[in-house]
Amino acid sequence: MLNSVYRRVALVTLVAAWSQVALAHFPFVECTKETPDIVCLGGFSDGSSAQGVTIDLISYDEEIIASKTFDDHSRVQFEPYDGEFYILLDAGPGHTVEVDWNEISAR
Amino acid sequence: MSTSVAMQKNHKTHSRWFRWRFHLSGLLILIPVVLTPFYIELMSLFGGANGLGERVVGTQQVGPWTITLAEQFERGPKLDGPAGYMKTFNGALCQECAEQVKAVYMRLGKPRSLRTAGVIGFGSPYHMTFSMPVPENSASDADLWLTLEGWDGALHHAQWSLAEASPATVQFLQQLQEK
Repeated sequence: MLNSVYRRVALVTLVAAWSQVALAHFPFVECTKETPDIVCLGGFSDGSSAQGVTIDLISYDEEIIASKTFDDHSRVQFEPYDGEFYILLDAGPGHTVEVDWNEISAR
Repeated sequence: MSTSVAMQKNHKTHSRWFRWRFHLSGLLILIPVVLTPFYIELMSLFGGANGLGERVVGTQQVGPWTITLAEQFERGPKLDGPAGYMKTFNGALCQECAEQVKAVYMRLGKPRSLRTAGVIGFGSPYHMTFSMPVPENSASDADLWLTLEGWDGALHHAQWSLAEASPATVQFLQQLQEK
């Protein structure tokens, strides 16, 4: 009887704790221009890694120039592209972040 | 003899303190009594019992559908670690269109494509919540764009000027950019 009460209390506590983790989960990406490549570091606001998440380099006329995924260190590298473009982290519908080419500063 | 008197005095002081400490602990009950009304008000705002949000922005016709938008709290965006500043809005679809709309997206500035339509609204169709990123360099005359995607694949847009949607966010951006 007491065991079942303890189990219920533990379950409620765990659910409450996990619901907090699930709430704040926004993606972010920071890109810098290193010679000669563009290096992007991604992640989520709860501190989790973006490993395996898709990131695309897309020209202004909506052509996907390069499509990659973040590596074990939550980083990705793109070859330089001449022209106007943006980089899109796509972790699923409604979980995207864009970085415009003119927001990428040299390291 | 004098040691015994001193001990008795000490014991009396102690017991008085313990008795008072017990009575003072009763004051702890005042904490929930004072805070509960605020908590109930906050929960009713999150749940929708107190309306869609602290400030209703307005209702717009979006293609065949209608959506109402409100600021959850009438204040500027909040910093959420490395993801930057986030501003929370709530939205409600009309009763007859709730089943026709697959998803609602929100962002600052015109979306380039459906993939870049912004954050997705989650929750009930009558009380969706959007946590929208507000980049620090956002123009204060930017527009808030809503993209409604139907189950039939149809896309419709609605827009509000940021000044109309959230004067507190415009004020926040102006203060941030003045620094």
